[in-house]
Amino acid sequence: MLVVTFSATGAGNCVEVAGTPYVYARTRRDGSDGFVMGARCPHRGGPLHLASVSEDGARLVCPWHGGRVSLARLRRQVPAVRRGDTVTAVFAVPADTEATVRHVPVSDALCAAPPVRVRGLPEPADTAAAPKAAAGTAG
Amino acid sequence: MSHSLPAYRPFELGADDLREAVMRYATNPLYLDNDEWLNDDNPYRRQLRPQVLRHLDFSTPPARADILNYPSLAAQRLLTAIYEADLVFLPKSGLGDRAEDFKNFYSPGNRALGETIRPALERYAFGFLDEEVDVSGKWTKDTFLAYLESLEPTMTGGPSKTAQAILSSTDRERAARMWLIQLAPDFLSEASPMIRNVLGHYGQPQSEWFKIIIDEYGYGVHETKHSRLFERTLESAGLRSDLHRYWQYYLNSSLLLNNWFHYLGKNHELFFRYLGALFYTESSLVDWCRHAVDTLTEIFGDQVDVTYFTEHVHIDQHHGRMALEKLLLPIVEEHGEGVIPEMVRGIEEYRALLTVADDDFSAQIAWMDGQPEYNKLHAPVYEAITSGRVKPPLADIVEPFGELSNTHCHDGDELCHIVSGTMKFVSGFDSHLILEAGEGVVIQKNRLHGAIIESEECVYQIYSVGDYTSCLS
Ligand code: FES
Ligand SMILES: [Fe+2]
Repeated sequence: MLVVTFSATGAGNCVEVAGTPYVYARTRRDGSDGFVMGARCPHRGGPLHLASVSEDGARLVCPWHGGRVSLARLRRQVPAVRRGDTVTAVFAVPADTEATVRHVPVSDALCAAPPVRVRGLPEPADTAAAPKAAAGTAG
Repeated sequence: MSHSLPAYRPFELGADDLREAVMRYATNPLYLDNDEWLNDDNPYRRQLRPQVLRHLDFSTPPARADILNYPSLAAQRLLTAIYEADLVFLPKSGLGDRAEDFKNFYSPGNRALGETIRPALERYAFGFLDEEVDVSGKWTKDTFLAYLESLEPTMTGGPSKTAQAILSSTDRERAARMWLIQLAPDFLSEASPMIRNVLGHYGQPQSEWFKIIIDEYGYGVHETKHSRLFERTLESAGLRSDLHRYWQYYLNSSLLLNNWFHYLGKNHELFFRYLGALFYTESSLVDWCRHAVDTLTEIFGDQVDVTYFTEHVHIDQHHGRMALEKLLLPIVEEHGEGVIPEMVRGIEEYRALLTVADDDFSAQIAWMDGQPEYNKLHAPVYEAITSGRVKPPLADIVEPFGELSNTHCHDGDELCHIVSGTMKFVSGFDSHLILEAGEGVVIQKNRLHGAIIESEECVYQIYSVGDYTSCLS
């Protein structure tokens, strides 16, 4: 077994293990389905990290020849956990298998929800509405 | 069928009902503001600042970036009070005139009101973890073991960010005491969340879980019970050991971490998640305790009693492996690999919370150490306001002698400006500024603070500047 840690987004968002690149993906708006997927199309090796999602939401559509890959199958493929922007994935290959981390672009359909939502500060006006409230009293 | 039943409706409170229920719970006299900084051997008094709660909305969980804002601190304080109504506490100096408080705290009325708001508060307090951690793919026993093995370096690292913050503080003793205070809500009732999981009937692992508790309870010899050992640590470091004496100095993240274990223990549908957390705490505690011993002895010398920590170094060496072999793996064996993702989630949530706590604590020490600077920053920020360059919302406040603003924090930076009188501005345990007319302090976002008026009257202004650096030209 090989355990690899890489980024969910940005630089280092792809790990290549035994010739297959893997990326972290999310296809649902609410971000409830983060998973690690092999990003090489089974047809002729097209870039599945640039895939779109079929209308029924059940398959990825490869950008090269339009081949379809079941999402349910992809989601089972690699046991993984994401904490913040860090992904840890376990691959069923010998522990000394080489793994290289690099960057690949990922299509919008595969990063439907950003892994980490960032909300701005409340507008100063909000705080003004109830200064005693947010502030409590004093200082 | 003529006897048709109404459809089952799971319990849930809408935003308005929730706010009203929170107010109803928190207006209990036990939870009102204190006019002292410390609680005095009264385990039932916990300041919840109900006067502010009516303005808060706990119906939508905050994003990760907002979890150190005031509403989250308020939610953690509420949850601590609610969870601890399941635990038995008695004043060290005897029940005496606290008998009424005792009855009130454990009364069915107080407990029922707490239980009513608990599910919503838990969603609010821990909801960000749904976003912070996800587990995917099909896990097997083998991939799980490989993953656990890969965690080893994370459990045996160097001193934490917290230890570094203490050792590099300009007032190391104060920083170390502030840290011990953060541990007190957990360690003075040590293992209580865990004990929630030995009730019931679930086979051999139940007895394994029980053995861990026997260790924590010092085999029934009171002087070796871990909470007793920690009392001695507190006392030898110049602190008192009565429960929640330092309630007002608990940071949001310290309560968050402790409450999270109660949350897992109280809600048994999270049993498997707790198993993951148990494995990780047991496995990482040895090194953590070693660093604690080093830090405390470096600062306080030999006078500090570190038995609490050395004891954990000794007994926990095997607890990690025991937890794995006797608890986690047999449970996977019995209940299937489908329970593994919850265990993984427990581990990673705990790691996420450790990071939150490390960041929060070191920021608070920097805030305490930086008080002279924040005091000086008053001048340029106030100048930016009086010159009209920035126009932040303003609150004018007049308070009488002795008025104590119980500790809290703000969701953005604020400027406090004293118009007349004297304010003692408190920024952490044993950390304060005396502010006179014309002076003030920049109050950093999310940093715990409070104040007491030391003159007959004090007139002051609070400007909600949002980000103070934007006032500096
Ligand atoms: S390579 Fe993907 S469809 Fe052909
Ligand atoms: Fe304040």
